[in-house]
Amino acid sequence: MAVVSEKGAARVNPSVPVPSLPPSERPPPDPAPAPPAGRIHVAAEGFSVFYADVEAVRSVTLAIPQGRVTAIIGPSGCGKSTLLRAINRMNDLIPGCRVSGRLTLDGEDVYGPQIDVTALRQRVGMVFQKPNPFPKSVFDNVAFGPRIHGIRGRSQLEAVVERSLRRAALWGEVQDRLHENALGLSGGQQQRLCIARALAVQPELLLMDEPTSALDPIAASRIEDLIDELRGEYTVIIVTHNMQQAARVSDLTAFMYMGELVEFDATSRLFTSPAQARTQDYITGRFG
Amino acid sequence: MTAHFINLLDELLRRSLRMASAVEHMLAEACDAAKRLDGAMAQRIIDRDRDVDEEEVAIETETLRLMTLFQPMGADMRQLCTILKVNSDLERIADCAVNIAQRVYHVAPGVMEELGDDLEDFYPAVRRMLQDVLHAYAKVDVAGAQAIRAQDAVIDALYGQFIQKAVIRAAGQAPEMLAAYMDVLSIAKNLERIADHATNIAEDVIYLGTGRIVRHSIP
Repeated sequence: MAVVSEKGAARVNPSVPVPSLPPSERPPPDPAPAPPAGRIHVAAEGFSVFYADVEAVRSVTLAIPQGRVTAIIGPSGCGKSTLLRAINRMNDLIPGCRVSGRLTLDGEDVYGPQIDVTALRQRVGMVFQKPNPFPKSVFDNVAFGPRIHGIRGRSQLEAVVERSLRRAALWGEVQDRLHENALGLSGGQQQRLCIARALAVQPELLLMDEPTSALDPIAASRIEDLIDELRGEYTVIIVTHNMQQAARVSDLTAFMYMGELVEFDATSRLFTSPAQARTQDYITGRFG
Repeated sequence: MTAHFINLLDELLRRSLRMASAVEHMLAEACDAAKRLDGAMAQRIIDRDRDVDEEEVAIETETLRLMTLFQPMGADMRQLCTILKVNSDLERIADCAVNIAQRVYHVAPGVMEELGDDLEDFYPAVRRMLQDVLHAYAKVDVAGAQAIRAQDAVIDALYGQFIQKAVIRAAGQAPEMLAAYMDVLSIAKNLERIADHATNIAEDVIYLGTGRIVRHSIP
């Protein structure tokens, strides 16, 4: 160990204890992340999605815990929205789309023969990039799902609407405008209305496909606050191009690239010390 | 925007390394000034402290600006955090060099002759430690930084031995001579502090390279 220069070496008192050095090689990377704590809500095992011959999602294996917010990030065309939309079978509507491998919700095969797709979509709500309220009143937008599921009583519907709007942090702004057309709301309010509409059918899981990319920063911030409030009660999976947003709102982050899952880890670790070079390059803007 | 950020980050890192080089030079001169009791050299070191202080503030300002404007992540964020922390340690090392230079004015030549030989063990050890850690910082050499962390114990042991010897000598002296011994002890203390700051920098380099915070753990 070179403690002193050659000039001074002879002066070092031999009785000075010389501590043993740690191994000189660079420390090994951290082992694979521990499986997320808590009950697994959504699990993919070798799950692929094909559009005709194109494999848009390539043999993805990951386990998403219940009650946590999981972000999926990656460059355009990496398969993140396709993976998200596979969870409530939105991709079924695309001609030529097929899947292989296994995708389960609470252990139940989402693509199994027994599955009732309508019931699945009740359990798995979805919020899209552009707010898409129906051209109806605020009240009727939120009451739409519960009515389809057979709730008819006025007071019962009013209770569901109020609870859902409160949960979506919108009640205070619309309680006097419940019977006005929802298209008269601001973009941010419309998006929270869509979240309220999704919550009205009491889903267990919310899928959000870039829910703030069409909103101004203040409206986006309110959606992020809302996601934070939903944490614990709902499992939230959010696809976002905004990495700062993913870092702010999520507990876990999955990075996808060219259809593959490159890295899945605690958000705090993935954004500060990613294990994979491709993740590092993406989050620091070196590509994508 | 990314290319622009990378250029700014590179420039900031170069600036930090230039400051590191200036501080390393100050330490070398402080050691020489103490060895030779060279007052003119000591004054030059004291005069340079203001430049280091100004540069420290400028580097900190630019680091905070890049953090705010670009909101970097991953290795880029670690790099900026490391620059910020190293910056602070470099400024304190410069302060220690200035403290040594100030002692040079006060120390009684007789006492320096008496203890100077023992003190000379320190100069090359601390200078080498700082040189090595700044090299590890420039190269993001994690293994090198780990080795430097371990060196701190060697410096502490040297310091302990020196203190013991100096105190025994001072104990036999007349009370009016004690201040002179304190001057030499202060030089040793400042060298030991520099080794502590070098250890901090080594820990920052380990964080930079691995994302692990190793402070307060046994090297």
